[in-house]
Amino acid sequence: MTIALPAQAAERAKFKLDYTVPVLAGFAAVLCVLVVLPVSWLIYYSVTIGDPASNVRVFTLAHFYTLFTDPAFVNPLLTTITVAVSSSVLCCAVAAPMGWLVARTDMPFRRTVRLLVTASFVTPPFLGAVAWEILAAPNSGLLNQLYRFVTGAPQDEHLFNIYSLSGLIFVITCYTFPYVFVLVANALDRIPADMEEASAMLGAGTWRTARRVTIPLALPALLAGILIAFLQAMILFGSPAILALPAGFHTMTTKIWSLFQYPPQPELAAAASLPLLVVTVMLLRAQHTILGRKGYTVLGGKNADPRLIKLGWLAVPAMTFVVAVISLPLFLPYFALFNAAFSPIATTLVTPANATLHNIYFTFVELSSTQLALNNTFILGAASATLGTVLALVIGYATARQAVTGHRVLGFLATAPIAIPGIVLGVGLFLSYTRPPLVLYGTLWVLLIAYVTIELPAAYQQLQSAFRAVNPELEDASRILGATRLQTLRRITAPLLRTNVLATWCFIFVSTIRELSAAIMLFTSETKVVSVLIFDLKESGELGAISVLGLSMLVLTFAVVIGVNRMPGFGGTRLRNT
Amino acid sequence: MKSFKFSRRDLLIGSGALAAGATFSTRVLSAAPPASAITPQLIEAAKKEGKVVWYTSVDLPLAERIAKSFKDKYPGVDCRVERTGAERVFQRIGQEYGSNIRAVDVVNSSDAAHLIVWKNQGWLAPFVPEDVAKHFPAEHKDADGTFASFRVFLCPMGYNTNLVKAEEAPKSFADLLDPKWTGKIVKAHPSYSGTILTATFQTSRDLGWEFFEKLAKQKIMQVQSATDPPKKLALGERAVMVDGIEYGMFQLKEKGNPVEIIYPSEGTPLIVGPNAVFKEAPNPNAARLLQSFMFSAECQQLAIDHGGLRSAHALTKEKAGRKPLSQIKLMKDDAAAVEKQSAEIKARYTQIFKV
Amino acid sequence: MAAVELRGLTKRYGEAAVVDRVSLTIEHGHLVCLLGPSGCGKTTTLRLIAGFVEPSEGEIRVGERLISSPANTVPPERRNMSMIFQSYALWPHMTVAENIVYGLKLRKLDRDTIGKKLDAILATTKLAPLAQRYPGELSGGQQQRVALARALIVEPETLLLDEPLSNLDANLREEMRFEVRRLHDAYRYTTVYVTHDQAEAMTTADLIAVMNAGKIEQAGTPEDIYDRPSSEFVARFIGSSNVIRGVGLAGGRVEFAGVPLRCVGAKVEAGASTPVSIRPHDIAISLRQPGDTDNLVPATVVRQVFLGGSRDYMVESKDGTQLRVVTAAAESIPQGSAVWLGLPPDRCRALTG
Repeated sequence: MTIALPAQAAERAKFKLDYTVPVLAGFAAVLCVLVVLPVSWLIYYSVTIGDPASNVRVFTLAHFYTLFTDPAFVNPLLTTITVAVSSSVLCCAVAAPMGWLVARTDMPFRRTVRLLVTASFVTPPFLGAVAWEILAAPNSGLLNQLYRFVTGAPQDEHLFNIYSLSGLIFVITCYTFPYVFVLVANALDRIPADMEEASAMLGAGTWRTARRVTIPLALPALLAGILIAFLQAMILFGSPAILALPAGFHTMTTKIWSLFQYPPQPELAAAASLPLLVVTVMLLRAQHTILGRKGYTVLGGKNADPRLIKLGWLAVPAMTFVVAVISLPLFLPYFALFNAAFSPIATTLVTPANATLHNIYFTFVELSSTQLALNNTFILGAASATLGTVLALVIGYATARQAVTGHRVLGFLATAPIAIPGIVLGVGLFLSYTRPPLVLYGTLWVLLIAYVTIELPAAYQQLQSAFRAVNPELEDASRILGATRLQTLRRITAPLLRTNVLATWCFIFVSTIRELSAAIMLFTSETKVVSVLIFDLKESGELGAISVLGLSMLVLTFAVVIGVNRMPGFGGTRLRNT
Repeated sequence: MKSFKFSRRDLLIGSGALAAGATFSTRVLSAAPPASAITPQLIEAAKKEGKVVWYTSVDLPLAERIAKSFKDKYPGVDCRVERTGAERVFQRIGQEYGSNIRAVDVVNSSDAAHLIVWKNQGWLAPFVPEDVAKHFPAEHKDADGTFASFRVFLCPMGYNTNLVKAEEAPKSFADLLDPKWTGKIVKAHPSYSGTILTATFQTSRDLGWEFFEKLAKQKIMQVQSATDPPKKLALGERAVMVDGIEYGMFQLKEKGNPVEIIYPSEGTPLIVGPNAVFKEAPNPNAARLLQSFMFSAECQQLAIDHGGLRSAHALTKEKAGRKPLSQIKLMKDDAAAVEKQSAEIKARYTQIFKV
Repeated sequence: MAAVELRGLTKRYGEAAVVDRVSLTIEHGHLVCLLGPSGCGKTTTLRLIAGFVEPSEGEIRVGERLISSPANTVPPERRNMSMIFQSYALWPHMTVAENIVYGLKLRKLDRDTIGKKLDAILATTKLAPLAQRYPGELSGGQQQRVALARALIVEPETLLLDEPLSNLDANLREEMRFEVRRLHDAYRYTTVYVTHDQAEAMTTADLIAVMNAGKIEQAGTPEDIYDRPSSEFVARFIGSSNVIRGVGLAGGRVEFAGVPLRCVGAKVEAGASTPVSIRPHDIAISLRQPGDTDNLVPATVVRQVFLGGSRDYMVESKDGTQLRVVTAAAESIPQGSAVWLGLPPDRCRALTG
């Protein structure tokens, strides 16, 4: 080797500009637009009233007065609280024992159970609600028909009535408990075996160990899960719109949405959105406090496999319980949807004699919005996933590496949307983008903004922790060899985070496809997405078409997720870790 | 369809013109533009645009059927149906125009009052298809040529024949208040459906709001679209419907579903669903072609035969087995009054029924 | 050619100064070791030089070029430096060859040149057979050589090494010390080497800067540092000297445990508390009082350990000070014995403060 021209190399290097600072500043600006703008408009509208004559808005608290005195608002508020409390308690009652069975016992098919519960997350809650209508509508519901067939009960008797408060709580629980389940099961996975062994060596029996050590250690995750379940139940729009309205009651989300029917009352909608916002912020703070208590969470380190409790003959009832639970969000609803897709009438069982392809023909040939909605959904899903991942990647990098001053602000802004329920964001974005200078309403852009905003917090948290797992020296090594921060991010960090990046991409894609509550506020005829189309069809009672669309949406989702994971250069190539 | 005997149709058109006159007081009251035939030039121009968007509240399968027959007749012009409840159509168009979005070409609403509003705002294009000029009675077309009645239908009651015997079925709105129907009634919503808004206006005017207040205690199942209650009857989910589209009932019944229409003794609400072309339609030629097609005897007959609608077109024939309008006691409709009371009706309804 | 010059370099995190007014000149082609215990600021100093950290005060120059100051810091990628990391920081998703040529690709060299340079460095570092392997498939020593090759191939103006040998086992570490020195002699890059291991520093460095609490305590050649420590910290850290504390007497002696010791080193002030260093193997230990009476301190054996090649004593003087003494293995004195310690005057170094 010779010492060749280091001076020249240095000379050349001078022309390489570092765009990091302007780029990161740009991201901060984007985040501000995403988060601050809609919330500001929301607050502004909630405390002002427009004077149609002078076009001037004046300050008022009248909306809040209405909100807390008019029964039309107080009742939905109380209903929402009832629904959220009940379904979070139910979630916990179901998810905790299931999580424990899967993580800590030798129950057969543990992995399959996990997979299935995760799969039920992919089901959009509104689709589940429609499926449960087909199953448990008081008179026509398949389960009630079965009940009458078996018991010989008279025509007007029923076992289940899904159009009721309890029906709503039930369906919401079906699609919320996976959150709690995953949290609890993961927490139980991480409890090191030695803690249990320590207890066992002190003479405690297996069950006693479980009660005294394992369960208390999993408690923070359970509490956090309950809070998440509460939040989800509170901000869900599709299920109450499908199940509560026929029964003649509102929740806050459906009430907010109804305020946008003609004549629209955006001020009241804004005011009604704020309590949701405030409660969400408070709950998230509570969750942070619970999970943030030091010395209580068990993390990291390589531990021996957890001690599995031998169930023995108890395996049978345990399996029965688990299968019964999974059938509620998964087996039964999908059976109902398949049946409805091929049946002339949704609540008639398909037989070879009456099976029909009419619903499929209608959905894909006659229904002129299908193509548009599928295209929009696919474009938006892919665009949101890509943009969201890039944003989360860059911001996760900036905060995990503390690359710029003000990275804390970036991190906060990226996490903040978690506190904004979809429908509230929908209202905020509607207020922000139906006026100059940025009239994005009516374009796919406004939906893109909504989706990216909604999914950013989860994506950011996933990628930020992934960044933390990558030794920063790997990046330093690249920089000292002449790569700028962005080059390093592209050539070193991103490939190292490939699996995480892919997982995040798929996560956003799936979440976007099942999003309804923000889309319902923001779509126009040209920017319809599948979830909105399904909701439209629901309102005119086209159950067959809904089933076909819902099932094809899932096929599309799985196809994309599998396709992305098989993409050459992504999932396929070998990755060896030091 | 000479047998049409609307007692109040002059009111509809008259009040529309009156309202328009009041708004555009400086405008010279003009007659409609001359009738336009479907010319090869129009078809060519429409093909160049390649598509047309129809906002409508017609029951989706029927709307798509009409769109399909249009596409079959004029290949190269795609017709996309944007179907939702008439009140939603109205709100959406208002919102889109407010945000400078011009997506709608042709509109159809089951709430005739909407056409008055749009016309007053100057959003509608004066355009009179040949069929409208020749075969539609004056009471079914706007004097200024901006809209005409694409469809006429009723909003009757109905029941499921498996669940209710014919002799036990309610005969009137008043019968529905009988405790035996508690929990067995399905009803659509006036904030969503123009049909129901119009019907609610007529029913509350003729029977008083007390009727609805009592009805609200019957634990009704509240659906949104007027197209849904007939479907809920067919599913067997509810035994009786308070309101819903007559044409949906015809379709279901003729396909062999266990449903039967009740024309209540107090009178049945009458619904008129006009069609119009928007002045700023993004596809103006395709819009005019679609409008002309929809008022042709061919399309109107399709709507009758396939869809169960009724038509004001002189050359169409009613389908055998359906009760002719002339034999039904109708409630009086009044689009101008609906326009004025729309917000109040919705508010009051929501107050009574809680949703 | 350019020297690297640190002037009053300071880095504060909040109130605490991690690097405190460090000034040091690294001559071109020299290898300087920053030596000190963990937390002494040596790695931060290195990262300041690399440009990963911006200084709070002071500046860094390479030749006439100002590369770091509070107002303006040239980013690492424009410093034409190379660095070898404690973790080696090999990219697990790239092969050995890809790892090595990364820097050349960034410099947009043509393919032939890159190929030639790669072959040359693979030969030098004996990595040719491993070129297509992934880092995860290599042993620690092999990984170390890849890191070295990757850093050297770009022909940096300055080479920075951050505890490069600390992840190797003892034998390999010893071997690699000489390897580092050999490569330095071959390429003569200006090199800054951070370590906490004094043997490593002694073997490799032209100049050692001993750091403590963010400051450079003493900078000098290995011999300087070892034989002539200027502070108690350096004396203790290098060769683990005994540092005893006495009181200065008129005439340059230091009174310790009642004995006036003759010392070399710093000027002694009368009446001042004065630390004196002496290495364990410089102390003579005997049961009987030697004839020579100068610098004789009576003491008691607290414990003794047989180490094979030597014997390690802990003794306590009358005033309770404990001292380590290393003697030949054969010389065994039982625990509890009263002994005489002979402290050769030329080995007793009076230290400042």
